[in-house]
Amino acid sequence: MQKKNLAQLILGDWNTKTVVGVAIGAALFGVLMVYGGVKVFTNTNLTTAMLIPVIVGALFGPVPALVACFFGNVIADLIGGWGFWFDWSIGNGVLGFFVGLLPLYGADINKGVFTVKHAVIFALVAILGNALAFGVVTPLFTLLFFGGELNITFLQSLTGGASNVLVLTVLGIPLLFALAKRNASSQNLVKE
Amino acid sequence: MKQFVINVTPGPTFLHHLSGKTKVMLFGTFIFYTLMSFDVRLLLPLFILCLVALISLKPNWKVVIALFTFIFFMNLINLVLFWLVDPDVGQYYTTDTRTILLSLGNFFLSRETFWYLLIRQLKLMTSFMVSLTFILAITPSEFAAGLYGLGLPYKVCTVVSLAFRYIPDIANDYENIKISLQARGLEMDKRKLNLFKRLKDNLFILLPLIISSFDRIGNIANALDLRAYGLLKKRTYYAEHEPTKADHVFRFIAIAVLVFSFAWIGSRMIWPPVTQMWTPF
Repeated sequence: MQKKNLAQLILGDWNTKTVVGVAIGAALFGVLMVYGGVKVFTNTNLTTAMLIPVIVGALFGPVPALVACFFGNVIADLIGGWGFWFDWSIGNGVLGFFVGLLPLYGADINKGVFTVKHAVIFALVAILGNALAFGVVTPLFTLLFFGGELNITFLQSLTGGASNVLVLTVLGIPLLFALAKRNASSQNLVKE
Repeated sequence: MKQFVINVTPGPTFLHHLSGKTKVMLFGTFIFYTLMSFDVRLLLPLFILCLVALISLKPNWKVVIALFTFIFFMNLINLVLFWLVDPDVGQYYTTDTRTILLSLGNFFLSRETFWYLLIRQLKLMTSFMVSLTFILAITPSEFAAGLYGLGLPYKVCTVVSLAFRYIPDIANDYENIKISLQARGLEMDKRKLNLFKRLKDNLFILLPLIISSFDRIGNIANALDLRAYGLLKKRTYYAEHEPTKADHVFRFIAIAVLVFSFAWIGSRMIWPPVTQMWTPF
């Protein structure tokens, strides 16, 4: 397989497989957000949905992860019926993008490539992505959309971000190792 | 799994019969209208309009009232937090004066803050009402068709419709995995376990669920490819019908609201810049 350039890696190739993968990711994200969370703070959940961008990102790249997260959040809003809060959908999309950067630093889950080095980068990117998505993007949109008290808005977003980091590192990294190991066993042919 | 709030089959009322594109357009413009305004004179009419629309949809009132109360109190808690952290929070958004309505020791409630909190609650509830009306009026397929009608690439729209198609499968898988894990001795009774243990047990169900779901990508993608999905640049939707007379009227209204919103932003926020909201005092 020829080496893909950066733009292709970021965008992912949108073939049928990607569409289906992103759709399943969005469905799971939505369902897990509605049914698979524990309340931490007002408007904030410790949610297992955060595992979805990890997998979609690992399989397809950052932009598919972004789409899966954004529409997953929209779907959660649709089946939960509590209305659309686009400030959070956008934040989740941005986070999905960062979490989905996996292929860019060399981790390739499809071929079973995921080392400790990748895990460390993944954890750092997860923290950075959360800081940006829920420390900057979501509060900014919340202020723009609804106005409000600055400290509380940031506090809410940051608890959301912190619980995401928790889920991403504590559950996400073992999951990535497990997936990589699983895929590696089917790729044991050596090219001569 | 509980019943969803969104309907999968189209309903019988007038608003249900509008085409998907019209519904998405109306929703988009009204949510934009809500988000841009911090003015009771703009928000209250829309709130009442949504209430009328909601009544015309003949929804399941038990669900609607439960959701409304939930959102109302969630936001109320937020507002109380705002007020506790900064009793002067309203001054930035209203006028620079401070008229104390009542005071409790160090805390006080000023007229400005009270007005600001009231309007913010109204704005959030209006945004919620617009969303809820939209959610109750549309089906997932119409939503996908409507997004396509607005110019989104159809592969993205497929994500929406396919995701909804997949949700019942997730529910099925969840039940199956749960039953097989229970057969292997996993305790699921809420009363017998503490929260942390229950979370951990849930993970035992979720991991197989996530992995088996993603394992199905290949099958579904092949099935779609065999039906020549993605071969052409355009696509039509079964759920979308030709625009009727009512559709044309409502699309015109949507565009008019959008134009009005932009005019409002241009005249009220950009030049001359006004950060303070309209107050009766």
